[in-house]
Amino acid sequence: METTKTIINYTHRQAGHCESGATSNLFKFNGLELSEPMAFGIGNGLYFSYIPFLKIQFAPMISFRNLPNTVFKRSTEYMGIEATVVKKIKDPKEAMEMLDRNLERGIPTGCQVGVFQLTFFPPEYRMHYNMHNLVVFGKEGNMYHISDTVMEHPQLLSYDDLLRVRYAKGAFAPQGKMYWINHPVDRPIDLKPAIIKGIKKTVYEMIGIPFPLIGVKGLRWMARDIKKWPKKHGEDKAAFYLGQILRMAEDFGTGGAGFRYIYGAFLKEAGEMFNNHQELLEASDMMGRTANKWREFTYIGARNCKNRSKPEEDYGTLSQKLLEIAADEENVYKKLKNLKF
Amino acid sequence: MEENTNPVYKDKAYGQYRELSYSYEDGGQFQKTVGFHGEADRVILQQAWDLFHERIEEARQRVISGKVSPVVYYMEKNLLDPLNLSMMAGIAVWRVKWHFRPGVFKRLSESTLQKYAAAFNITIDQLKKVE
Repeated sequence: METTKTIINYTHRQAGHCESGATSNLFKFNGLELSEPMAFGIGNGLYFSYIPFLKIQFAPMISFRNLPNTVFKRSTEYMGIEATVVKKIKDPKEAMEMLDRNLERGIPTGCQVGVFQLTFFPPEYRMHYNMHNLVVFGKEGNMYHISDTVMEHPQLLSYDDLLRVRYAKGAFAPQGKMYWINHPVDRPIDLKPAIIKGIKKTVYEMIGIPFPLIGVKGLRWMARDIKKWPKKHGEDKAAFYLGQILRMAEDFGTGGAGFRYIYGAFLKEAGEMFNNHQELLEASDMMGRTANKWREFTYIGARNCKNRSKPEEDYGTLSQKLLEIAADEENVYKKLKNLKF
Repeated sequence: MEENTNPVYKDKAYGQYRELSYSYEDGGQFQKTVGFHGEADRVILQQAWDLFHERIEEARQRVISGKVSPVVYYMEKNLLDPLNLSMMAGIAVWRVKWHFRPGVFKRLSESTLQKYAAAFNITIDQLKKVE
């Protein structure tokens, strides 16, 4: 059997977050230098939602990120770059053929996949999480070359394995979703309007939505709930629930502190772009401090998880800390809301 | 990469993966560093897996003593709950729960068994017993 070999000259750069990393790498391939925080900020990656009645892996659902594919879709839309997103492909074989055709035409293609059966992932991290993103950039016989931005190096994955992860089932099933940029970017792109749009949308999503479980309000709700956990569910379960928050915030794919560091870096970069815009730089500083507080919260929480039976800090203190964080974040968003460019 | 394993991790499989993380210093600089997971991350991950292993072991004992069907064991092994399993196998939640009874499980048709086997990524023969 002859082996076909097509490998696109694609640079793999490691990133903190899977989707903004993939977006930034795809832009770089098409001739537009855009850093990861920039892609993340313009594409509204920042988000918070707390859904106590929906259980994921036996603990309440907490999300620090937006819905899958938001970052790529919004960043291309705001910058006016032509891109294609195929949402749902019914036939798995057809989806793989589409991918092959793209590779032959020299287009690296992003795919949404489920993590649980991704073979190159460390086994400890294989949870049921269907919002992961990777970029396929080459095919060699039966093996695909994969650039997964949370890994240090490009990886190899066989046809069957790729098909299985692209059609992982469960909540937020990927259903073979794929996306790519149509043409190389040949004109200079003005990032400023895109940045303004991105900031406005993020501010709206964090403090503007009139629903109590989303954004800063959701954070406050969760802080109030933490206090009740030990009494309501017992020490063991409370520790596990707390662990779930920390895993979501600090485990890989966030760049640390639930994306707050990346967003701070974005604000700083944006401030420099607007001729050292004083208020943007101040906002970035505030965001950085908030992120440090998040990390502190993680350390205290982890110590709490370690000595499950005798918690060092009681849950009231943790709740107090979270409320503080919520107040700080609200200040940042309020400042961003009143910005004049 | 082998010799570079993170000393924090006792298990070798953990230690080989380095991730990129950001940090902030009060001077106003955001920094990227590529490094291993720290102690805090390991603790919370270990805690989650302790609970999962506990649940899997408990399910195994209950299957062996004949209280529940092997579906429960494989469900726990794949870190699922009945709702997720119903989504993956394409069987209604109440039917999934009904199949937890050993007597009911024995009378299941080939095609239903095949659905479970596909969801768990194993063969039907494996599905009928636990390791």
